[in-house]
Amino acid sequence: MSSPHASPHASPRPGAPSVRRSVPPGLLFALPFLILFAMFLLWPLGQGLWMSLTDTSLSVHDPAFIGVDNFTEALQDTEMWRSLGHTVWFTLISTVPLVGVALGLALLVHTGLPGQWVWRLAFFAPYLLPVGVVSLLWLWLYQPDLGLYNHLLGSLGLDQVGWLSDESVAMWAIALTTLWWTVGFNFLLYLAALQSIPDHLYEASAIDGAGAWRRLWSITLPQLSRITVVITVLQILASLKVFDQVYLLTKGGPNGSTRPVVEYIYDVGFTGYRLGYASAISYVFFTLVLVASATQYAALRRREK
Amino acid sequence: MTSTDLPVRTAPTPQTLPPIRELRVRRAARRGQTNLTLGNSRLTRVLALAALTVMAVVWLLPMAWALLTAFKSEADASSPTHWFWPQGGFTLDGFRTVWERGDLPLWMLNSLFISTAVTVITVLVSAMAGYAFSRTRFAGRRWLFLLTVAAVLVPPQILIVPWFRQMLTLNLLDTYAAVILPQTVAPVMVFILKKHFDSLPHELEEAARIDGAGHWRIFWSVLLPLSRPMLAAVAIFVFIGAWNNFLWPFVSTSDPTLMTLPVGITSVKDAYGIQYAQTMASAVLAALPLVVVFMFFQRHIVKSVATTGLGGQ
Amino acid sequence: MTGMPPPVGPPRLTRRRALTGALASGAALLGAGALSGCGSAQAADASTVRLWDLFSGADGGLLNDMVRAAGPDMPGTTIERTVLEWGPPYYTKLAMASAGGRGPDVAVAHMSRLAGYAPTGLVDPWDLDVLAEYGIGPADFADTLWSRAQHRGRTYAIPLDTHPFIVFFHPEPTAEAGLLTKDGTLDAEAFSSPDRFLAAGRELAKASGKHGIAFGYVNDPAQGWRLFYGLYRQTGGTLHLPEGGPAEVDEDRMAEVIAFMAKLTDGRVNSKRLDYYSGIASFANRQAAMTLSGEWELGTFRAADKNVGAAPFPTVFGTPAVYADSHSFVLPHRPDPDPERRRRTHRAVAALLKAGQIWATAGHIPAYGPVTRTRAYARLQPQVHYAGAQDHVVLDPSVWFAGSGSDFQTAMSQVLQQALLDGLAPDRAARAMVRRLNTFLSKPSPA
Repeated sequence: MSSPHASPHASPRPGAPSVRRSVPPGLLFALPFLILFAMFLLWPLGQGLWMSLTDTSLSVHDPAFIGVDNFTEALQDTEMWRSLGHTVWFTLISTVPLVGVALGLALLVHTGLPGQWVWRLAFFAPYLLPVGVVSLLWLWLYQPDLGLYNHLLGSLGLDQVGWLSDESVAMWAIALTTLWWTVGFNFLLYLAALQSIPDHLYEASAIDGAGAWRRLWSITLPQLSRITVVITVLQILASLKVFDQVYLLTKGGPNGSTRPVVEYIYDVGFTGYRLGYASAISYVFFTLVLVASATQYAALRRREK
Repeated sequence: MTSTDLPVRTAPTPQTLPPIRELRVRRAARRGQTNLTLGNSRLTRVLALAALTVMAVVWLLPMAWALLTAFKSEADASSPTHWFWPQGGFTLDGFRTVWERGDLPLWMLNSLFISTAVTVITVLVSAMAGYAFSRTRFAGRRWLFLLTVAAVLVPPQILIVPWFRQMLTLNLLDTYAAVILPQTVAPVMVFILKKHFDSLPHELEEAARIDGAGHWRIFWSVLLPLSRPMLAAVAIFVFIGAWNNFLWPFVSTSDPTLMTLPVGITSVKDAYGIQYAQTMASAVLAALPLVVVFMFFQRHIVKSVATTGLGGQ
Repeated sequence: MTGMPPPVGPPRLTRRRALTGALASGAALLGAGALSGCGSAQAADASTVRLWDLFSGADGGLLNDMVRAAGPDMPGTTIERTVLEWGPPYYTKLAMASAGGRGPDVAVAHMSRLAGYAPTGLVDPWDLDVLAEYGIGPADFADTLWSRAQHRGRTYAIPLDTHPFIVFFHPEPTAEAGLLTKDGTLDAEAFSSPDRFLAAGRELAKASGKHGIAFGYVNDPAQGWRLFYGLYRQTGGTLHLPEGGPAEVDEDRMAEVIAFMAKLTDGRVNSKRLDYYSGIASFANRQAAMTLSGEWELGTFRAADKNVGAAPFPTVFGTPAVYADSHSFVLPHRPDPDPERRRRTHRAVAALLKAGQIWATAGHIPAYGPVTRTRAYARLQPQVHYAGAQDHVVLDPSVWFAGSGSDFQTAMSQVLQQALLDGLAPDRAARAMVRRLNTFLSKPSPA
């Protein structure tokens, strides 16, 4: 690693107003990161692009260059479009509650009701569970005959629900699990934002004699609008990448009705051996993420103005 | 999802939020008087408390149900009639069987080792790079930093196929190195730490420089000690991410002795079929480490999420 | 499900072995060995054979018993099992581990999947000379199976069993319906045409008081296809799948079979909307007198009815054909296999084959001939009644994308479900199946 003492440029210059004069050791400091960055980000990124132009497979045979064939195939691949649709749909039905419920919970907790420690534990603890645990837990909760939720429905005299086996329910069930699992993250971000609203804003309104609701609508919520945009943006980008809980809960089923595009990449590449084609789909998905990021960035910029 | 991603986030915007202050349970809050206080209406308070209680029960129910199941016998766990309270009383059999099978403790060790390695490497390497980008000048610095910031946009999910292929080429599949190395590249942490170093005053290091300290000593003995809270926040965030990461460890290991906790408990099955009490016992055991850590370090973890979770925004 | 842990510790990953493996690999990572790729395979004990399989439940317990029974035949060797989730997850992991070159020493794979493994170089060939030393040779296996194990003149799979898709019945209602012969076996004549089959179903429904024949297929990735393909081959129809396509099939006969399947599950005498588990439950709790199922459910059914009867799938469309598959042993690819390890693996597999009698109690037909010729096997009821199915087994077409736990079976079963459940017309369903087939064929083969 770097040994700056050996560097001739590191010699102190008495009287110099800034340390920024010394130059090359900086590169040494950045080097470990840059090496990892090049090895495990830039190289794979380039290799992925190259593979998407070949018929690389999991087998021992040498790949051949096939031009843009993989991309033309991808654009006509109904399964790919379907899985992209599922990803977008999941993003929609998970982002709205993940932001809304997080805000609601944060506002309630922030009112200063007793038991702060309990509330934070209850809502944030699931976020600390590995997805493997979350999925085992919810597979058991959703179990059709013995699971808790169908038992509860049964004791209310309601019909059983095929939480993960009914095509019209499965995606909602996955979104529900996701809400339970990750809402704590957004909840904490909101809580932090609430505590950083300057007190003087409220003090002024207190003099005006504004009621609790008035303060909520005219001070708190407007003050939270910026963080809400940021949380929403982060949530959309996180939801677009969904794979883990879907794979573990339904394997993309029933009948492929919940398979997100990241699982399609996995299925095509590893189950179907087609690493080249999977790389092409990865790039299609990357494009979607970039477009989403750019759109949100533009929206954010406009808001700022 | 959120928790298992390498913390790749959205493009950092130049306009930043007002820095989020440390999340603290203020004295005022304990007394029930925050700036969002509900006023004197007793009814509102009761309603708010009721709403919060209902939500907390809903949120805690899955975990309570898992615990309840884990302490049942297999027969009681799958009893369709006595589904709530076990007829045969509680037992530790599920835990015993799962623990004695031996793979769960092994996966815990694997997770601990892998997450620690990822955290140590990531924090050290990112802090050094953050320092380089913040405090030093060299040809290409701006350009390299821009590249790093741009890389925040790359979702790790699109890299699993090339990573797999790369590990195949390097003959590293099914090794710890294959699981760890790709997880150590965290451009967003470099960005956060660079901004953090930017915010530190220059006076101290100038004094050190006058005393003849080189870059390494300034970095190691002056700036890092000043940055302890920030480094802790970053480390906690990276550790949680690595501990819960699923997709890449799942793809890069097929040898059960190398699997991490989330991968092992979902991939390796029991030869005797699905046993719900045992499954829940293993889930509870697998959940335990981080939940216990959370109980002890709640404040730090909460702060870590609050400062790091926005990806430097 | 047996649910009973065996008295002897199951031959799984032992903690000591696991921990030494972990520490060794950890040390390798920390030391200079990190990038040279020391995995845990090297750290494994010198006397172990690592086996991957997909048997859990009753089969999983029996395989443990077999491993123990095989012990004396392989002194000094222990088999360490890893059980992975059945279906695509299993085959995906197996392919990935084989590609990485650090897979297990031996793995169980369905014979129907071999076309995706042998030509791609993901599995290595067996050494028949070594197997012969341990008393295993080609003559010990049925030709239909053995020929499927070949690729370019070498043997890539050693069959453990044949597991056909058969019929189970409760003897009392079936006798009441007049469908048993004098010696208590199923009267195959009464099922020898589509109309007779359906009529028999009506009789069975009367006798059981509720449903006739249970068939669970809803949302199942394979059941529809299993029933369909066996019946289709009974019509004399063939499925020729040249690389690149198009598929050469007999659409009329496909439609005929689909129409029959739709009538069988039209909800009048048999339940219409059964998924796999409710199909099993419906037969096990005697709501139905008969069920169409894989023989692997024998343990479950016998637990519910100790006299449960079984028969090869009746010949409904003229030509005897029984849908089946075979669990077999394959050698995941190693770039430089250690000859000693390989030899140990060959011996372990030979020992397991000879312990096949235990496997037969699960319902599977042991592939190793000498086992089925014993008197002990002849006493197994009802296994011996359907052992004859072995002579007419039909496996999935030998193409890289087909076989148990494949997307192909899922896709076909989905179309069939639309016909059986949602009223898609048989001829249109047949066309949809051919379209899906052609999509699979149009994909480049990885071989």
